[in-house]
Amino acid sequence: MKPNVLVPLSIVALACMAPSLHAQDGDAAKVAVQVCASCHGPRGDSISPAFPKIGGQRAEYLEGQLKAFRDRTRADPMAQAYMWGMTSQLGDDMIKKLAAFYSQQKPSKGKSSDPGLMKAGKAIYEAGLPGAKVQACATCHGKDAEGSSAFPRLAGQHSEYVVKQLVLFKSSLREGGNALIMHNISTGMSFEQMEAVAAFLMSK
Amino acid sequence: MKKISLVSSLRAGASCALLVGLLTAGTANAVPSYARQTGVACQGCHTVFPELTPFGRSFKLNAYQIDNLPQVQGITQNKDYELLLNQVPPLSFMFQTSYTKTKTALPDSVNAGDSAQNGQLLFPQQASLFYAGRIAPNLGAFVQITYDSASGTFALDNTELRYAKQVPSVADGLLYGFTMNNNPTVQDVWNSTPAWQAPFDQRSNAALVPGAVTQIDGSLGGAVAGLTAYAWWKNSIYVELGLYRSAPQGFANANGNAGPLDSTNPNGTIVGWAPYWRLAFEHQWDRNSWSVGAYGLSTKTTPPGLSVGSTNDRFNDVALDSQYQFIGDEQIVSVQGTYIKEKQSLDGTILLAAPGAENQKNTLNTFRVGGSYYLRRTYGGALGYFSTTGTSDAIRYAPAALVGFANNSPNSNGWIAELNYLPWQNVKLSLQYIAYQKFNGASSNYDGNGRNASDNNTLYILGWLNF
Repeated sequence: MKPNVLVPLSIVALACMAPSLHAQDGDAAKVAVQVCASCHGPRGDSISPAFPKIGGQRAEYLEGQLKAFRDRTRADPMAQAYMWGMTSQLGDDMIKKLAAFYSQQKPSKGKSSDPGLMKAGKAIYEAGLPGAKVQACATCHGKDAEGSSAFPRLAGQHSEYVVKQLVLFKSSLREGGNALIMHNISTGMSFEQMEAVAAFLMSK
Repeated sequence: MKKISLVSSLRAGASCALLVGLLTAGTANAVPSYARQTGVACQGCHTVFPELTPFGRSFKLNAYQIDNLPQVQGITQNKDYELLLNQVPPLSFMFQTSYTKTKTALPDSVNAGDSAQNGQLLFPQQASLFYAGRIAPNLGAFVQITYDSASGTFALDNTELRYAKQVPSVADGLLYGFTMNNNPTVQDVWNSTPAWQAPFDQRSNAALVPGAVTQIDGSLGGAVAGLTAYAWWKNSIYVELGLYRSAPQGFANANGNAGPLDSTNPNGTIVGWAPYWRLAFEHQWDRNSWSVGAYGLSTKTTPPGLSVGSTNDRFNDVALDSQYQFIGDEQIVSVQGTYIKEKQSLDGTILLAAPGAENQKNTLNTFRVGGSYYLRRTYGGALGYFSTTGTSDAIRYAPAALVGFANNSPNSNGWIAELNYLPWQNVKLSLQYIAYQKFNGASSNYDGNGRNASDNNTLYILGWLNF
């Protein structure tokens, strides 16, 4: 590059350089703030339903999913497009710390939608659809959808994201982890029933 | 985006800019280098390239820092990185090929009464090599080297170096940074400012374009360099301030040196530093984002032919812009618009031995608005309207065959329509049509030689590959 009058100013800018975005020694908080936040929000409270809320999510679940992305065993379209790359260089230690960081964040508040839809969703969540061999969601995900160990927290999640995951489970595009369980459950659900459950969960 | 114009229109104004339109290409930027570095598919940063998503805006503002490649690295005793280098350099290529046909053939440039070939095949329309990605911790680059089909040479195209740092201690995030670049607005992250405005960012380099162009609307690209500082707070409020100075490419003075600049600089020379400013507000909700902003540039420029600093022209550009995006899994809708108002004080130009303007003061205003729709990021279309109006000036907008102006008026307006097909995320096939209602001052016989505005209507078929 040919020298010009702005070079001195650029040197001043470079002299201000601080530690890079590339986190040292498993600094999960730094990675979370500087990288993950681009899609998942500053504390895991994402705005767009294209990306799940992960603030307050179960650490075991997050750890399992991050490993599944890294190992490419979770291979749904968004996983391939975003998370395969994002996790490719993560070590087990960093994954554990990221999972711990997000599990300690405060979950976002729920958002209500159509009352009729939420009511129908609540019924399915709590009692399942016995005729369709759909178990009650609460069995694994908890009475208040707070999740349990590797079963994720669903309370407050974007309804659109929940519906999309149910569709992916049903079509077996999302595999790995407990996906087989969810495939069997979602197979008995109609799209409308998925929307109802998702509306209820988002309101929690 | 519009390729940076290597010749400014400072003295000859409109007609010169028109020639630039003939000689340069639209250009482009979805850069697979970034996908290679981040491991994230094109759709992460782009709705459909080159338009940026909120994630793409964040990636750019963060100086292209996200990486997911093995690194060559070194650390200090304080465990700060002093080297972070992608093992694989973030390189990529772009290749465009096109076919251009105007409604009425252009006249042969030598043989009066005969026509030039109508239906120009360009292979390439444009070919570029990019280095785009992280250089060091907090420092990134977008460097484009482009083959120009008119001159048959390679040259530096849009380029920026960017440093950025986040301040995590500030609630919900404060980001600040610096960018050094060679085209005002090329650093911008919304596709409603001139360098990247959709759907006006692509055009044929084998067709006429209207002659009157404001300074900030691409006239200075490649002829300046600037350093700006910016801050981005809560993914919502953006402030940027900077200064530009002349830094033309390919300039040699009488001594054969690249500088210092003098009266022979064909671009004209900015005296001192030209301030650039930018304010924007963005709101995101669900899958929507909306931004509104303002930007501007003030230049004091000595026209070519006069000693630098002796007598200067002043251009004061102030602009508004806005963008709306809906980014669904299946459907994407976006709308972008901008309005640029330029006040010109042509004190230098009117003093030239052959004055370049009649009026000491002129105004020139440009308005563009366009929208696009895509289904599954595969099938899409766009529609846009553009208009430029300004003060009539008998010299600046003089009559001439083909590239002249009717009524001494810079006014032009028309429509652009586009159909796009993307068989893959990094390949776009476009069918574009530009219809002029008014071209260089009139709808009919704008050049005094019987050529109508609609004769310049342009059909443009573009194949655009990034790899």
